[in-house]
Amino acid sequence: MMQRRDFIRMALYGSAALSLPMAFGRSAQAQAIDTLKLFVPANPGGGWDQTARSMEQALKAAGLIKGAQVTNVGGAGGAVGLPQFVNQWKGQGNALMVGGMVMVGALIANRSPIKLTQVTPIARLTGEYQVVVVPANSPHKSMQDLIAAFKADPSKVSWAGGSAGGSDHILAGMIAKASGGDPKKVAYVAYPGGGPAQAALLGAQVTCGISGYGEFGEQIKAGKLRALGISADKRQPGIDIPTLKEQGVDVELVNWRGVFAPPGVKPQDRDAMIDLMAKMNDSPAWKEQLKAKDWTPLFLAGDDYARYIEAENKRIEGILTELGLA
Amino acid sequence: METLGFLADGFAIALQPANLLWALLGVTLGTAVGVLPGLGPALTIALLLPITFSVPATAAFILFAGIYYGAMYGGSTTSILLNTPGESATIITALEGHKMARQGRAAAALATAAIGSFVAGTIGILGLTFLAPPLVELALQFGPADYFSLMVVSFIAVSAVLGSSVLRGLTSLGLGLLLGLVGIDMQTGQPRFTFGLPELLDGINVIVVAVGLFAVGETLYLAARPKYHGSIAPLKGRGWMTRSDWARSWKAWLRGAALGFPFGTLPAGGAEVPTFVSYYVEKKLSKHPEEFGHGAIEGVAGPEAANNASAAGVLVPMLALGLPTSATAAIMLSAFQSYGINPGPLLLQSQPELVWGLIASLYVGNVILLILNLPLAGLWAKVLAIPAPWLYGGILVFATIGTYGISQSPIDLILLYIIGGMGYLMRRFDYPTAPVIIGMILGPFAEQEFRRAMTISGGDLTVFVTRPLSLTLLIIAAVLLLGPILLRRRMVQRRSPFRHHHDN
Amino acid sequence: MRRLARPEVLLSLGVIALGLVALDQTWRIPVSPLYAKVGPTAMAYAASILLLGLGVASLIQAWLGRWQIDAEAEASEPVQWRSVGWLLAGLVLNVGLIGPLGFVPASALLFACTARAFGSFRPFRDLLIGAVFAAIAYFGFAKLLGINIGAGLLEGLL
Repeated sequence: MMQRRDFIRMALYGSAALSLPMAFGRSAQAQAIDTLKLFVPANPGGGWDQTARSMEQALKAAGLIKGAQVTNVGGAGGAVGLPQFVNQWKGQGNALMVGGMVMVGALIANRSPIKLTQVTPIARLTGEYQVVVVPANSPHKSMQDLIAAFKADPSKVSWAGGSAGGSDHILAGMIAKASGGDPKKVAYVAYPGGGPAQAALLGAQVTCGISGYGEFGEQIKAGKLRALGISADKRQPGIDIPTLKEQGVDVELVNWRGVFAPPGVKPQDRDAMIDLMAKMNDSPAWKEQLKAKDWTPLFLAGDDYARYIEAENKRIEGILTELGLA
Repeated sequence: METLGFLADGFAIALQPANLLWALLGVTLGTAVGVLPGLGPALTIALLLPITFSVPATAAFILFAGIYYGAMYGGSTTSILLNTPGESATIITALEGHKMARQGRAAAALATAAIGSFVAGTIGILGLTFLAPPLVELALQFGPADYFSLMVVSFIAVSAVLGSSVLRGLTSLGLGLLLGLVGIDMQTGQPRFTFGLPELLDGINVIVVAVGLFAVGETLYLAARPKYHGSIAPLKGRGWMTRSDWARSWKAWLRGAALGFPFGTLPAGGAEVPTFVSYYVEKKLSKHPEEFGHGAIEGVAGPEAANNASAAGVLVPMLALGLPTSATAAIMLSAFQSYGINPGPLLLQSQPELVWGLIASLYVGNVILLILNLPLAGLWAKVLAIPAPWLYGGILVFATIGTYGISQSPIDLILLYIIGGMGYLMRRFDYPTAPVIIGMILGPFAEQEFRRAMTISGGDLTVFVTRPLSLTLLIIAAVLLLGPILLRRRMVQRRSPFRHHHDN
Repeated sequence: MRRLARPEVLLSLGVIALGLVALDQTWRIPVSPLYAKVGPTAMAYAASILLLGLGVASLIQAWLGRWQIDAEAEASEPVQWRSVGWLLAGLVLNVGLIGPLGFVPASALLFACTARAFGSFRPFRDLLIGAVFAAIAYFGFAKLLGINIGAGLLEGLL
């Protein structure tokens, strides 16, 4: 009897999965947001894509939208997708693009002719702090140890992380600068994604590594990697890692993610989107998503968000210049 | 043994009727996406992630594992029948497989691929079941210098596909190396060979190149010389492998599995490299090396076994350490997170039911795939009986789907067709196309690892000989490369001890 | 007899040209002052120069008439430019129309042109078969996985 019920349930879920949201653009675009169009300038599976799909889930559960349609245009930290969003989605009041800090850096490093200032900032949603780790058997017990080694001979300290110019590299540069070293001397070893970088750290092929806490968290808890510092402004609940600041390295960095509307949207559309995001942020469905994904809520909307992006732009451009990437 | 007990529990989970149906759905879906060039298991699983909100974890993972394995089977089917590889790991299969198909031996090629995949997949899963912890320890010993030396060994595989002229073969390789460089350099973030096009920043997809060279190029070539239309021979036999096919296949399956599985466990191994190496090994060991390039069954059996065994190998670091070492593994891990399960080194201890259910479902999925694919081999082979106008029309539409479907950028289509035009010229002037693919995959791999090694060592080139793993691999490379030459010279000297060499 | 193999010479020149373009593009790769013992250009130089060298070597071979191409294709029959033309037309139409018209019509045209290149003379039947084939593929993609592979006028009705 149970099997039968299982089967029916599965058939239902199966058919639901097989008819994933595929509403067509031209179907009713009334004042209310029937179909939210989400633009993800990254391939399915990554952080931005997960943000979009979690948003879809939460918004639907909270009854704020009827459906959503996700479009992925991946590549180069968002530098491939952004031009398409700016040019082809112009003025669409029911569309949002997911982006974040990585995109700020990627646009600067790739000298993209399209800037993040061309889209309409709606809200910052979540963020993730980054951690500096060393292999468990490393002689470096604290940030000071690591920095002392770096200052003694930068070429002897190799830093593993994601692609050059990405958030991991940026943090490495900031740490070098804050401790009086030369960011250009950071012996940075770029890996495609967290898995290979973690493997290099677990095998002690490199001196230290940088990544989002989510990536390294389990290895740290299992004692396979030792966390030396986290890039947060203060200690985070549930994470027993000293901040960089309290160890005398005056650096703060959060890999934030947020949403943007296309350029040229009507003011009332923009306000409606800000309102929608605020409502989503307060919904229990979204809180559940945050908990499941281990994301830190960092809601910031409208003009404050716009100013924040401007400041981030300056700060990241500065550090990328010092790294020799801008 | 403890492991066997866990495995039995796993089977109890995987064999529940509902889970069996999930496995069936997964392998069917996986086969379908494997068939389509460009659409791989990673993307499919990513798109099905929302399913994790509505079904239990075990069911979702059984579904995902089915997709993962099914895609490997599906990819080889189109490689063999249409010369249109669906997955990068099945590109090498097309070399001999499609030649076999044109000789009317499609069913035998599909059968050796299916059985080989099953045998090697099973060996791989056995390895995953019993050898995961020690293998992972070994895999972590590989540093950038060792990977580079491993790539040096792998490059020797090019010699198996050089064709009739070394000069032209190497030209193809050089072209592949250049194509592999396109895009943002990972180590320094600088764009290379992008001609200012944002679409090229992420590099050129190897599947686009393979489909362009093989499928589009071949179609152009055949259209230019229509007398060769008849060259697809009618099906021979009843679609089953002959006694000699079996005799030639079984060792290749085992060798392919022995190569593929350890490669898969390496955090940066990939599924393509072992297929190259397997092809090289089979050609070297075959009693019929002259058949290679004209439809040698070992050339299908070995690489197919290698890619399926490596698919199991990839799961070793994922399940033993929570390390996602391929795109598919990364997405499966993110699915774990949706269930509030944090994949990591403690996954096996904290979620034994899930992990062992997943492993058991791999065995089950593998059996389902064999049952599905073997009878289908004969049926699939009939695709080639479609009249040429429609067959080639279909192939081109098919090639378009995967390329345009994912990126929706006409640039990718234009690229596909330009590469198709190059494929035509290469075919016309007898340049081998396989070295392009090998260069494109191995080139960036070797380059990045070399530069990582140099950054870590501070520019000290001796790391390649001071690290034992790297040194061993370089010695293997030297023996493979110089061994045959020295051997030949000694043979010549022995045969003519009193005569001088001819001058020429 | 020593005969100058013209297409082979042209092809060698093509390889040389490719090597030169690659070399030129390598010069254009921006090199940042970033710490990296081996920069982004090393491999690019190596590959460009390899191709250039091979191009020169094949040119010499072609010049000396030593380049032998498998007789199979050469001897048999002249290139059927008309067929190639139909095929190329299909490809160009596909690239041009897939954006404005959508996946199904563009694919149907590609299918029909290819069929014509391979000797089919019933364009309307071919168009129909192509459209059905493309529609099935489209449906599978769009409905099964929610990937939008170029919706146009026709697809909206499905």
